[in-house]
Amino acid sequence: MARVLDVHAWPVSLGRALSNDLVIDDPHVAALHATLHLDGQGALQLTVGNTVNGLQLGDAALAAGQSAAVPAGGATLQLGALRLRLRLPAEVLAPERPWPLHRMASWAAVGVAAIALAVLSVGDRWVGLDPGADLSAWMPLLLGLPATIAAWAGVWALASKLFQHRFDFAGHLRIMIPWLLAVSVADALIEPLAATLGWPWLWRLSPLVQAFLALMMLRAQLLHVLPHSRRAVTAAAAAAGLAGLALNVTLTYRQTDRISRPPYMSSLPFPGLVLSGTEASTALVQDLVPLAARLARRVEKAKADEATDGSDASED
Amino acid sequence: MHLRPRLPRAMTAAGFLLAALLNLAPAANAPNVPNVPNVPNTPSVKPSVVQPAAAPASAAAQATEAPITGAGQRIYERTRGRLLQVRTLLKTQDSQSSVGSGFLVDGGPAGGQLLVTNYHVVSQFALQPTRYRLVYATVDGSQGALELLAFDVLHDVALLRPAQADAFAGRGAVELRPANDPLPRGARIYSLGNPLDVGFAVAEGSYNGPAERSFLPTLFFGGSLSAGMSGGPALDEQGRLIGVNVAARRDGEQVSFLVPAEFVRALIARGHVARPITTAAWPAITQQLLQHEAALTEGFIAQPWRSAGHPTYRIPVPQETWMRCWGRGSPQATRGMQFERSDCEMDSRIFVSGPLLTGYITVRHEAYDGSRLGLLRFAQRYAGSFGNEVVGNDDRLRTAAQCVERTVAAKTLGNAADKNGGPARAEPLPLRAVVCLRAYKKLEGLHDLMVLVATLDGKVSGVQGRLDALGVSLPSAQRLAQHYLDGFGWTTSPQTPKSAAAAPASSASR
Repeated sequence: MARVLDVHAWPVSLGRALSNDLVIDDPHVAALHATLHLDGQGALQLTVGNTVNGLQLGDAALAAGQSAAVPAGGATLQLGALRLRLRLPAEVLAPERPWPLHRMASWAAVGVAAIALAVLSVGDRWVGLDPGADLSAWMPLLLGLPATIAAWAGVWALASKLFQHRFDFAGHLRIMIPWLLAVSVADALIEPLAATLGWPWLWRLSPLVQAFLALMMLRAQLLHVLPHSRRAVTAAAAAAGLAGLALNVTLTYRQTDRISRPPYMSSLPFPGLVLSGTEASTALVQDLVPLAARLARRVEKAKADEATDGSDASED
Repeated sequence: MHLRPRLPRAMTAAGFLLAALLNLAPAANAPNVPNVPNVPNTPSVKPSVVQPAAAPASAAAQATEAPITGAGQRIYERTRGRLLQVRTLLKTQDSQSSVGSGFLVDGGPAGGQLLVTNYHVVSQFALQPTRYRLVYATVDGSQGALELLAFDVLHDVALLRPAQADAFAGRGAVELRPANDPLPRGARIYSLGNPLDVGFAVAEGSYNGPAERSFLPTLFFGGSLSAGMSGGPALDEQGRLIGVNVAARRDGEQVSFLVPAEFVRALIARGHVARPITTAAWPAITQQLLQHEAALTEGFIAQPWRSAGHPTYRIPVPQETWMRCWGRGSPQATRGMQFERSDCEMDSRIFVSGPLLTGYITVRHEAYDGSRLGLLRFAQRYAGSFGNEVVGNDDRLRTAAQCVERTVAAKTLGNAADKNGGPARAEPLPLRAVVCLRAYKKLEGLHDLMVLVATLDGKVSGVQGRLDALGVSLPSAQRLAQHYLDGFGWTTSPQTPKSAAAAPASSASR
């Protein structure tokens, strides 16, 4: 918004001449380019003055001397390179947009999430260390985790400084911690749960879920930096997610002929807890038949590829 | 299925370093300067190990001048005309791609004079006849082209003939020692060849009978063999063929191997009138490997599993008839997971091409005790150990592995358990089982099988096992997988583990 003209009485004249109510310093604008005035019924009219370029009222182009009624809800005018928005009392307002900050978790909730995140991280480290491990083994976690989170929030706060002129370290921390907790919980729960239930498909989804949650965190942070570009940010996040997924699947498929990298569910059920029930081992052995057929098709494909390469140079 | 860094398995890994080694295959230049053997370029040869080995071999060659080793001198004099070097060259240039040795045999009136060497010496030609060619060089320096007639990939011998029919005229042939006249253990034998392309040499050593625990019969030669001697003859004091130089262990001293002469005899009988091979020999190799895998699977399944001596679980451990098992445990003092592992591997592996050794089975297991860790920590390590198994990605010769997985109930042993007075358990042992296959692209119908098993009942203990069978058909893969899965269960009678282990396996073969 370069300029605002408050209108207290009609008519209002627009043009390049200094005598106009709104002086437009643009060589493509006529001395008296247009006039806004009330007609006999009290409705607002736009009359185009002596102009070469005419003007644009909403979607309609008006030439010199033409008049048109201005919609009661307001309109946009284009004069030369200038866009004007005419707001009138009868304008229907768009609903108020929520300011992202107000949808953030409360500080109390963030505190609880931070404690939960710390407990999960410490627990994970505890499980990974043998009993009686040296204190120094805890250092990477105790120093590294807070430092990493702070550095991440700091980088985003710099982005906020760039776009919003405020170094919003606390705001980013508030966004990050609940999402980080979500990622950690997914990491800790999904795989053991899938193994205990005997659901390899759920197990294979686990990295996808975590990547999705991490992407949602990035989106939330980006939105915090660019609150007015909601759609663009969402589109960018979706595009990044889909591109990453496609790249990952493609590379995995090239190397392994599968779309999921791990060849089998490598988690095990929680000890002593097999909720999936058991089957006869003969069923598993029988599964090899379709598996071998799938591999045979793969071999056929390899042979066809080699035939098109036209060489037996598969060895040296 | 191991905890973090895999410790070097001292001897097992070296098992088949061997056969490839004796086939001298320098990567880059042609070693026309014999005293600069370009062994450091040789793939899969450890230079530090091979180079010292070269010295005694050439010393032996010089020692033939000395009167003490009169037999060696006599044998060399008699055999030198029948001794050749076999070179694999790129079709388009004269640089040698790999070098081995060979010797002349009598192919009868129909076959004429033929040449025997190792399959692995001519494998590049056999697999890519459009890209490579074979030539011989005699002791006196004459050279000529060779044609491949037949090969036995299982026992690693090949039969060739000169492209020019009378090229070997007047040279005679190495006589085969009769099969009904076995050589006594400890007898002096003489191995001839061209080690490291340095020059023709005689290596003296002793005959030590068949190598033990080898599925494919192999002779144990107590002498030094070096790369380049592959395919050379090992002769008795009368100059008759005992075996063909094939391999050596690099982790020992004077532990070398020979292909028994009987396989040379069979190959001559089968191949002396064959037509030369001009197309890639994959189908013939496939056929030979299918025969091998059928016999191996049959033999393997016919043997009952041994007991692992575990107090709770019946764990399949193979008989050591053709396998060698190595055991290892965690240090007693460790505060972490306690484990004991057993690795059983076959020494016999079949060389198909440089990167492809196949036709063998390995079985291993790890018994974990996490009582010092507690439930959560045990669960993390136990699952981690199950997760770090490698099953193989797509490469030139094999497809990527594909797996199927289920939670299965281990086989129960039926009424026998109760009669033995063992603790009869109502619930069968739950197992997480993963079975993976990898298909061979060139050897159609053959697969690598991997079976991974983890017991799921224990809160702080468990057993994980893995069976690998390389180069098996689908029916064999199914039988082996079933046989292995059936090997797991509860121990039925702790006081007599032998009967417990024997019962399930014998009833397992379908």
